[in-house]
Amino acid sequence: MNILLKYSMKYLLSILIFTTLSFAHPHTFIEVYPTVYSKNKNIDKINIKWVIDEITSMMLIMEFDVNGNGKIDKDENQFIHDNYFASLEQYNFYMDIQSKKSTSLPVIPENFKATIKDNKIVYNFDIQEVVKIPNIKINFKDETLFVGMILKEEYINIASNDKKLTNIFGIN
Amino acid sequence: MDLYAQFIDTLVQYQFEINRYITSSIRTAKTEGNLYNSAIVIGIAFLYGLIHAAGPGHGKALISFYFSTNKSDYTGALKLGYLISIVHALSAIVSTFVIFFIISTMFRQNFNDYSNLSIKISSALIILVGLYIIISSYISRFKRDEDIPKNKSKYALAIGAGIVPCPGVMTIVLFCIMLKQYVLGILAAISMSIGMGLTISVVGILSIMLNKKANSFINQKAYILEILGGLLIILLGAFLFYSTIITSP
Repeated sequence: MNILLKYSMKYLLSILIFTTLSFAHPHTFIEVYPTVYSKNKNIDKINIKWVIDEITSMMLIMEFDVNGNGKIDKDENQFIHDNYFASLEQYNFYMDIQSKKSTSLPVIPENFKATIKDNKIVYNFDIQEVVKIPNIKINFKDETLFVGMILKEEYINIASNDKKLTNIFGIN
Repeated sequence: MDLYAQFIDTLVQYQFEINRYITSSIRTAKTEGNLYNSAIVIGIAFLYGLIHAAGPGHGKALISFYFSTNKSDYTGALKLGYLISIVHALSAIVSTFVIFFIISTMFRQNFNDYSNLSIKISSALIILVGLYIIISSYISRFKRDEDIPKNKSKYALAIGAGIVPCPGVMTIVLFCIMLKQYVLGILAAISMSIGMGLTISVVGILSIMLNKKANSFINQKAYILEILGGLLIILLGAFLFYSTIITSP
């Protein structure tokens, strides 16, 4: 009976692990290009550029570029913001920002702009307030794993001489 | 970052690179149109399937539970792995073509609706499979030496686990449809499903190896594990159904 119990526990543990992770995996990929702006060695703002993979972009362009002129016009940009981008607030815009005092600080994006470049949808936006908190760490990730966030060292741009600021993305 | 998170992160990175490579290869196959480029697309699709199925999902949890709690041989695991991946890929090919050509103007919204509906159907089938396993195990608990047919629940499990169309396959097929590379899309989907089938089968074989060790200890009480496995499959089905409710807008 002890062996039965042992195997029962093994299956129960397996189900706990599998059920939390079994039903999602990335089918959309977003390359993240952050540009950090600083003043007096403190971060002033971060501009984030998302480049969405070509397959997903192809579907999105069908829907976003209503007049089919190959670019995102002002009203189309507003539509994307209101109907697609704003709803990502529930995922904190795929960012996990932590400071020494608190975890998962909320992201408030500004100056959203969508464009089409090389058959891909590109989102551009700034984050300002939250990045002024000292000693923050930023991770780009989708907890549900539906979107794969791709950040490489060469994607990070520091718009100042303080190259150590790359530390905030966990890259030294 | 813990080991599992690192593993998932690495899988995501590989999938991203393959996704990018397959996209450019399909474009090259379209513009240059030779057999060599098409063969590259099909080859990459196989690799993509192999890695894609290694990530969470694709019925691996179900096949693992099934073979951990049911007697079978390695051929059985290979068959079931491929059966799941064939249903998974066929469902993706058919649904992509049907949805794209019938309701292409509102593709995205309808894709989401369809996906939600198919998950509900799939979860109901998975729950039924769990019930079938429990009932048949209970009824046959004193007939261990008799040849009890299990194939019926295997096919039901394959349909239940595979009916949710694989979004990975769907995106490749869709991309090919948009570039009017219909045959290449279908061939890439088949190649991808062969890759996925291999990964899923390996999980089944590993589960059988575990099961063999367990059975040498508890052969007389194996039906209790089968019933437990059935309960876990029902729980997985219920969880899948619940996930469609909480993600519905």
